[in-house]
Amino acid sequence: MSVYLSADFASVEPATKAVRDLKSHGFGLDDLAVYSDEPILFPRGVLDRPRHMSLTAVFGAITLMLVATGFIYFTQHNYPLITGGMPIFSFWATGIITYEFTMFGAILSTFACFLWESGLIRKRDSAPLPRIRPERIHLRVRCNPDQTDAANQLMLRAGASEITRL
Amino acid sequence: MVAATEVIIPYHEVRDDLWRPLGPASGRYWVALILAFLVSAWGLGCWGYQIYAGIGVAGINRPVSWGFYLVNFVFWIGISHAGTLISAILRLTDAGWRKPVTRVAEAITVFALMIGGMFPLIHLGRVWVFYWLIPYPNSRLLWPNFRSPLVWDLTAIVTYLTGSMIYLYLPLIPDVAQLAQETTGWRKRLYSALAMGWTGSDREWHSLEFAMKLMAGLILAVAVSVHTVVSWDFSMSLAPTWHSTIFGPYFVTGAIFSGIAALLLVMVVVRRALHLEKYLLKKHFNNLGKLLLLLSVAWLYFTAAENLTIWYGNDPKEMQVFGARTRGGYAPFFWFMVFCNFVVPFVLLGIRRLRTINNTAIAAACVLVGMWLERFLIIVPTLATPRLAASWGHYAPTWVEISISCATFSGMIFMYLVFSKLFPIISVWEFEPHPLEDE
Repeated sequence: MSVYLSADFASVEPATKAVRDLKSHGFGLDDLAVYSDEPILFPRGVLDRPRHMSLTAVFGAITLMLVATGFIYFTQHNYPLITGGMPIFSFWATGIITYEFTMFGAILSTFACFLWESGLIRKRDSAPLPRIRPERIHLRVRCNPDQTDAANQLMLRAGASEITRL
Repeated sequence: MVAATEVIIPYHEVRDDLWRPLGPASGRYWVALILAFLVSAWGLGCWGYQIYAGIGVAGINRPVSWGFYLVNFVFWIGISHAGTLISAILRLTDAGWRKPVTRVAEAITVFALMIGGMFPLIHLGRVWVFYWLIPYPNSRLLWPNFRSPLVWDLTAIVTYLTGSMIYLYLPLIPDVAQLAQETTGWRKRLYSALAMGWTGSDREWHSLEFAMKLMAGLILAVAVSVHTVVSWDFSMSLAPTWHSTIFGPYFVTGAIFSGIAALLLVMVVVRRALHLEKYLLKKHFNNLGKLLLLLSVAWLYFTAAENLTIWYGNDPKEMQVFGARTRGGYAPFFWFMVFCNFVVPFVLLGIRRLRTINNTAIAAACVLVGMWLERFLIIVPTLATPRLAASWGHYAPTWVEISISCATFSGMIFMYLVFSKLFPIISVWEFEPHPLEDE
């Protein structure tokens, strides 16, 4: 049975220290979550989450580029028009369509990846959420009951103004 | 330099100020909304009449087969460059002053694209066969022209519209999540659905920030391609004065020019109507005004380069169009366009003392008129003066075309009014508290 603690910080520096201390005491990235009403910029290496958005965008772009190329190729070869051997398409015309499809693929895959990586379309756990207050940073820690005191101490020492059990 | 007092607007005040316009509508709002709706409905009715009676009710003819509809198409696609492109450039360059401006701009893009994208369909006449553009199973052996630039327009506009809608939606998520907590009834249901369970976790913020940066880069490439493709609708033909290699950058520059003008005008209206004087500051108008001035000069450079090349080349067929534009029947429009696009912005925005918010709005309004005329002068004189003198013609718009054109402007106003009542017109979470400006 996991216990959830929420620590309230006034600025990034104590929150950063708390995250570092908790990590060094064996808490994993999945045990920690920071909640705020605006994006918080932590120093590199503090709370880095794995991210595949760029790669996904490239993959999406290549996929739709291939779809466009296939679309053009098969239309060219299978479209039942008698052209006396003349191509239906010209190179430049298809180049523009392929380019737009490529960008379309990159845009759609970026959006899909955002939805997936942010967790918005994934099944949620039932973990309780801290109530976000304006201009405050809330660090939620998932721990075992026997880790609660240690987590409490670490966060208070880092500068948490208030710790609540969720 | 504007002096600033040390008073910082607290966060709760920012939120209250930016959410206040979402409250009950005033009488003036309803009057504006109903008027905009009625004119838009009249325009839709006219389109219905054109579908019923045939494209003959429009003034387009041989040889002027493209009239107001294509002018409006190019104009509105140009206006769409206001938002996403400007917002993307400012986001990528990390310009801090962009924050109160971006959503105003991004909304213009989406609505302008919706309006602009309708015109190829309106122009088609028989709109119900638009799918002939797509290579669907062809059992009747039809001969759609796959090489037509209209197919490029279709792919380019669909891509840009999709990207722009996502780009508008992404930074809206944190705001609607907050609104979902504070509202009740249908608004709560709407905001909750749009927020998709946003909690404000670091995972969500990091994904959002990175997605927005990535989208900004992608949208830039698409935006430039869209108006280039629109320009190629003309320059790929061998018609006099159209077959030009600089049409791509010329159109893109004109699009950004008219886009910024539209943005400035909307900002002035929004600032006054929604009482956002504390957020849309003089510096925003000053910065965008300078950008408008820069683009006015760039526009003049392209216009001069294009016309000087025609004049110096002295090709009789091109000189006929050039003459019609600068000395003939279209000359009043041409010189009024130069006045609106260069003289007015140069005076009102070039002289620092005159660069006030009101004068910026006047310059922006003039630029919009000038850019609409520019689109008209690119399209109509060339078509009315083809290479064969025996085919020369004349174009005069009918009441149907004028009505539909007016309806596009009221449609834009209608959509903007509805949007500003549903969503904060300035991104609350992106807005950093700032010192009050001492004007």
